[in-house]
Amino acid sequence: MAMNAAQAPTAARSGSGRRMSRAAKYLFFGAALAYFCVPMAAVLLYSLATRWTANILPDGYTLQWWQATVADQRIQSAFSTSISLATLTAIIDIAVVVPAAYWSRVRNAGIRPVVEVAAAVPFALPYVVIAFGLMQFSGVVAPQYQGTFVLLVAGHAAIAFPFVYWAVDGAMAAAGIERLSETAEACGASPFQTLRRVVLPNISPGLVTGGLLSFAASFGEFAMAQIIGRGLDTVPLWSAEMIRSYTDTAGSYNRLAVVTLLTFAVLFVLSALVVYWNRGQTVRLLPGGGANTEGVRR
Amino acid sequence: MSGVNLVGVTKMYGQVKALDHVSIDVCEGELLALLGPSGCGKTTLLRCVAGLERPDRGTVEIGEADMTAVPTRDRPIGMVFQNYALFPNLTVRQNIAFPLEVRHRPRRAISARVDELLDLVHLTEQANRYPKQISGGQAQRCALGRALAPNPEVLLLDEPLSALDALVRGRLRDEIRRVQQLVGITAIYVTHDQSEAMAIADRVAVMNSGRVEQIAAPADLYEMPATQFSAKFVGSRNAVELAVRDGRVGIPGSFHIDAPAGSNGHALAFFRPEDVVVSRGDAGRGMEARVELKVFLGATTRLHLVGDADGQPIAIFGDLPSRQARLIDEGETVRVDVDPDHVHAFPI
Amino acid sequence: MKMATLSRPYVKIGGLESAGGSASPSPLARMRGWLAAWLPAIPLLLLVSTCLIAPVVVLIWQSFTGMGETGLSLDLWFKVLGQRANQDAIATSLFLAAACATVTLIIGAPLAWMISRMLRGSRAFWLGLLNVAANFGGIGLAFAYMATIGSVGMLTLMVQGLGLPFEAPREGSLPALLMAYEYTNIPLFVLLTIPAMSILRDDWWEAAQVAAATRLVFWRRIGVPILAPFLMAGWLLIFTWTLGIYGIAYGLAGQSGATAVHLITLQIGSALQSDVLFGPGRAAILAVVLMVFATTSLILYRVMLRRAMRWL
Repeated sequence: MAMNAAQAPTAARSGSGRRMSRAAKYLFFGAALAYFCVPMAAVLLYSLATRWTANILPDGYTLQWWQATVADQRIQSAFSTSISLATLTAIIDIAVVVPAAYWSRVRNAGIRPVVEVAAAVPFALPYVVIAFGLMQFSGVVAPQYQGTFVLLVAGHAAIAFPFVYWAVDGAMAAAGIERLSETAEACGASPFQTLRRVVLPNISPGLVTGGLLSFAASFGEFAMAQIIGRGLDTVPLWSAEMIRSYTDTAGSYNRLAVVTLLTFAVLFVLSALVVYWNRGQTVRLLPGGGANTEGVRR
Repeated sequence: MSGVNLVGVTKMYGQVKALDHVSIDVCEGELLALLGPSGCGKTTLLRCVAGLERPDRGTVEIGEADMTAVPTRDRPIGMVFQNYALFPNLTVRQNIAFPLEVRHRPRRAISARVDELLDLVHLTEQANRYPKQISGGQAQRCALGRALAPNPEVLLLDEPLSALDALVRGRLRDEIRRVQQLVGITAIYVTHDQSEAMAIADRVAVMNSGRVEQIAAPADLYEMPATQFSAKFVGSRNAVELAVRDGRVGIPGSFHIDAPAGSNGHALAFFRPEDVVVSRGDAGRGMEARVELKVFLGATTRLHLVGDADGQPIAIFGDLPSRQARLIDEGETVRVDVDPDHVHAFPI
Repeated sequence: MKMATLSRPYVKIGGLESAGGSASPSPLARMRGWLAAWLPAIPLLLLVSTCLIAPVVVLIWQSFTGMGETGLSLDLWFKVLGQRANQDAIATSLFLAAACATVTLIIGAPLAWMISRMLRGSRAFWLGLLNVAANFGGIGLAFAYMATIGSVGMLTLMVQGLGLPFEAPREGSLPALLMAYEYTNIPLFVLLTIPAMSILRDDWWEAAQVAAATRLVFWRRIGVPILAPFLMAGWLLIFTWTLGIYGIAYGLAGQSGATAVHLITLQIGSALQSDVLFGPGRAAILAVVLMVFATTSLILYRVMLRRAMRWL
């Protein structure tokens, strides 16, 4: 029927009641929209302000902070560190998760419970705790890696892998990957051909979603970067330094505003892509099922 | 108890006319089946009676009262949904009691009435189970009990059997008919399955793209479909296009009937496979046809026959008792005849 | 089921096997079978065990040994848990998490319901928006909060400009943290509960109407009982989540210096940075405390979800 789910509950109400509740709905959603957008507007104004003293709007506008920030070598290097960190995290996670998830579906079901318990760890335990533990552990086993990029990549890969796992595993379930690879085998495909021509193309939405989510998780991660990435300069670490510089003489807040907006833009693009790839549907199930986690991060 | 009168009911979804001036009188105590393919408007019509949809034009009367603007909860109806729609957090007993509790009936009266209904739909033993713990057939009987609990004047059933498997379906269909007749309630039954509609209904309304094509008792509908659509939908598998000659249409060597009024050069003739008479050799009469394929269906065997009507090949399905069909080989030429009384022709 | 043959390459054929043949496969073959079953998962398992499991084990160990100098003891536990600041931090963390989760539930549940009943286009729009907000955390959010309702934030100035006597809460205070946290918590909660909302079928509401129930009766008897466990599970998840938030708190608390609230996560961070004497040991204990709360809460979450599914 042409009836749709959204209309059904309201179909049989009197006109005035419907108008009232529609008005209330618009108000509610308007408030929600403002709630999301006003802080961003404030940050935007901050990034464009010459000085902002006691008025509702800045005293004057300028593009100097944008120019200065984009030209700042330290910020450039922080962005390049964060982007390579996040890219490596996403690549490593995809590289280790896909074979494990695939094998747990086609050969060894025993892998699944092990991975699922592991995937619950970054959820149950705050990143501060994991980061601190990792610092202590690496101090015991491999002190020379402390404070290095390599260790931070490994840490990020470990805390971001559940996003990739749920996305990929969900995509495999949706594609019916067991049947597909059996069919491919029956057609005489080698395992490598099966992987490249059948498995990967059919789970591409999961790969993209998982990759984007783990990228986002790593890009904005602060606790672990602060605890085990000492000496490195990522975007969140730079921001933390700026926000703690109490004297706002050098325009550090204005530059922080620019960086915050840039970070926000990165997130915006990433989640637009995620929503696009999943066609407006919610995708994955949380550990234990029943709920979804679109890119959860602290 | 009372009937339902629908007058000129019209419903639009954007540009699509889901219902186009539908007028039906459902008599008191009658079971009327709304039959049609998906998207024909039958469910929308039922939902208009329930008040879950508001018609754009037309009126809905139950008994003598105009119900068009009355909200669902104030209509004297009970309804059975396609997917049961049992409340999962309530037991079978609580589900049946729900409409009575909502109406604030005294507790003792509720308990007695629920017992009565549990007995009526044979669910006394499952009374304390949750919907998740019972079978589909039991769930739908529970839904029937819930619909009947407050003694509604009209019972609405929206494809109640379509979620069930074939075996349960037939049993529950007869069960619903039994209960409906026992209670003597007016009922409207939506289905897309013509055999189900014929088996259960006093009258069948055939619907197509928002309009009623024909309303008739099952036997009449079967024998005398009023329109092409009815004919096709109630199972005339053979639809043969024939040229009109001298106001007559027919198959050479077999039937010839008067061309339908308004036909213009060609007409479409409908007849059932079981009304096709197939005979071997020269003794038989009718058109010569080749047996292209035999399909064994159990008691009967369906022959795919291709004959020749004035240079035009025509394809006909013919059903034969399987024992008889065994004697006929694929590729053989046979004679095919149809009783003109069983042919319904419509203008193209 | 190819596994079965892979792990059992040894097949006894008739009487060819001598009586001396052992009943178990050779170690080498068993090894090969195990490898075939687990090899593709090994990189992931290595990553997880070195970067998640081992660190947690080390932490627990250290919380009892205090950097391995004194052997197993509870001394450090008593010392750390006896400190006023730490007790404060634990109580405040729990309180803040509970308050945040409650506010989230109250605002997020109706929002999730409405979004779940939207048409696909507008739902995609809101999901995208929520996704961004849920992801936007850490220092950036702390700064956005300051720029909006900090002591010289835009909204603060606007309200004061209207002549109202409005004092923004100090950045490091509880109300400020609560408001800042909600920016990500509410979207997160909505994203988590939207799938549960679709469990409530429209034909239940229709069936209730046919049974003469009002909207209120429907929600009281059907809607709320079915959704309640899911919402509780969402509450627990936000609770767990909020306990562990570090970046936002770090950014905001820094603004208030010594007057800022104590939180477990902040205590861990500061113990690591300042306390040379028994910093790591203290941090380890606080980390284990946090671990215990979070794990308990997540276990309750699973119990809740199982309960939620019992009717479905």
